[in-house]
Amino acid sequence: MKWISTDIEMYLKAAEYVDTAIIPLFPVAFGDGMKESSAKTEFSGLLSGLLERQFRGRVILLPGIPYLNGSEDSLILQLEEWEKVLAEGGLKHVFYITSDIGWKQRESRLGGSLLWMPSLPLEHMDEASKMSVLEDQAKQLMPLFARKWEELDGV
Amino acid sequence: MSKHRVSRRQFLNYTLTGVGGFMAAGMLMPMVRFAVDPVLKANAAGDFTATKLKVDDITKEPERVDFTFDQKDAWYESEVTNTAWVYKNEEGQIVALSPVCKHLGCVVAWNTDKKNPNRFFCPCHFGLYEKDGANVPGTPPLARLDEYPYKVKDGILYLGKAKPRKEA
Ligand code: FES
Repeated sequence: MKWISTDIEMYLKAAEYVDTAIIPLFPVAFGDGMKESSAKTEFSGLLSGLLERQFRGRVILLPGIPYLNGSEDSLILQLEEWEKVLAEGGLKHVFYITSDIGWKQRESRLGGSLLWMPSLPLEHMDEASKMSVLEDQAKQLMPLFARKWEELDGV
Repeated sequence: MSKHRVSRRQFLNYTLTGVGGFMAAGMLMPMVRFAVDPVLKANAAGDFTATKLKVDDITKEPERVDFTFDQKDAWYESEVTNTAWVYKNEEGQIVALSPVCKHLGCVVAWNTDKKNPNRFFCPCHFGLYEKDGANVPGTPPLARLDEYPYKVKDGILYLGKAKPRKEA
């Protein structure tokens, strides 16, 4: 489900089935880093959207969190807060989706699971090849959700 | 002096209200147009979209078929890719099922759960459907998978808009 009123209405009726949050992490940089950080933000945003579409009955895709390049450490503290609030709301599992490699080295400090995917150059692709590239990437991430749920449900 | 000031303020009030009114009208008009436009536009939903699948290539094994069409969502036009699971049933008729789980809308896939071969499986809450789309009792979905109406033209499969199946 997405963070839009119709989906949230559906969520409120079926909250017991929804236990997973997806939070995209979007780096923002100006100057030299502008092009790269926008590409990363675009890529992980589209990827998150695809995953939501696959798993919409069990996940909530939260609005992505933008942060200035280099401020990851202070964001970690905020994310702890997020995780607490989400867990209280029944979202006991959090997936962070990002194309920013900076999170890789901070992975162990995150409560939720980090899904890092390098951003691929989408700017010169037509719609169809864009979609197939993104789907290929999403397919690599999908088993990670299934595995997490098997763990959680003890199947 | 004071009388002059009051009248100037009044003057400003009047003019500003006037401008505000214009502004409000300016904002409202496009909003009304946006709200009404999609309804007035011809409904493209009845149309069929060509898939890349040749009818002769359809087997008894459900196969994933993606097809893309333009969708007008309110005033926003976008390309949408839909997926269908397509196969021929025992009578040789084509069946094209929607992959959208009738429980809460996750995407189901054919034959992906090892414990439940030859069924459609929903990874979200382990919903199951038989090959013909019937929901397996005891799993969360309460209805059968929707079905796409189809047409065949020049040996190519065309799919319409997924609909719930009438018969139980
Ligand atoms: S969404 Fe498919 S079983 Fe719940």
